Amino acid sequence: MAERIVVEVSYALPQRQWLVRVELAAGSTAEQAWQASGLAEHAPDPPDLGIHGLACTAGTPLREGDRVEAYRPLVFDPKESRRRRAVKRI
Amino acid sequence: MPRRGTQPVNADAIDALLPQTQCTRCGYSGCRPYAEAIAAGEAAINQCPPGGAATIEALARLTGLPALPLNPTNGVEQARKVAFILEEHCIGCTKCLPACPVDAIIGASKRMHTVIVAECTGCELCIAPCPVDCIVLVADSAADGAPRGPIEASEAAHFRQRHAAHITRAERRRADQVAKIETRREALRQQSGADTLAEVIARARARRASGNPL
Repeated sequence: MAERIVVEVSYALPQRQWLVRVELAAGSTAEQAWQASGLAEHAPDPPDLGIHGLACTAGTPLREGDRVEAYRPLVFDPKESRRRRAVKRI
Repeated sequence: MPRRGTQPVNADAIDALLPQTQCTRCGYSGCRPYAEAIAAGEAAINQCPPGGAATIEALARLTGLPALPLNPTNGVEQARKVAFILEEHCIGCTKCLPACPVDAIIGASKRMHTVIVAECTGCELCIAPCPVDCIVLVADSAADGAPRGPIEASEAAHFRQRHAAHITRAERRRADQVAKIETRREALRQQSGADTLAEVIARARARRASGNPL
């Protein structure tokens, strides 16, 4: 039997978060884990994927225990918010 | 060493009674190190604010030591809270991600960070690293809005396992980083014939000392 790996897949909104465990064939990619997780219906397509805090491509192969994550964009431009904070501080 | 009757109490049994928030408020780097310190007779049993009176009583029963009130220098007992990220301020800096002892924050560089509420122990360790103060603590309430009760043993066991996974992965990542640097260094060595900047300088010095500057 082909080797299997278990990974986690996660997607998070401020008020609702998903963290699911999926079992895949060894050598499966981030994209395959994402599709297998069933979380695609909650997130925009294509997802902005990463593994444990590091952005990755859809084709990145997974290792046992990885956590595939789909990210959301920032709400505000960091440079803009920095300017806003600086003004407030004066 | 604390004893129950004549038996020394082992760290596993003590650790099993701690809430596994990994908050470090006891003065140790996590619940397990605190448990080991208690087992070794080096720490008192009243240093765990998230566990509060209930944990102190349980530890007193286990160890046979008197149930003192919570030591105020370690903190005060509070209702459960969880971290929450104010999205209008998050700059996607990733500093809170490694700070979380149970990997309860999802995020990456220049992406929104989000706390997985069900995984958050409320340890507060993510708050200090945030450069824009966008992480706040909010009341931890169940789906129906009622406040969640104290951390149960099953939940603590889950936190313990997540913390162990966090440590394993952090170590693996560090090892990967070292290996990567070593590979790059080796490639440079092959390419230039020089090992390190220190060796290049040493060679130049030797050349100069030999009276032949070229």
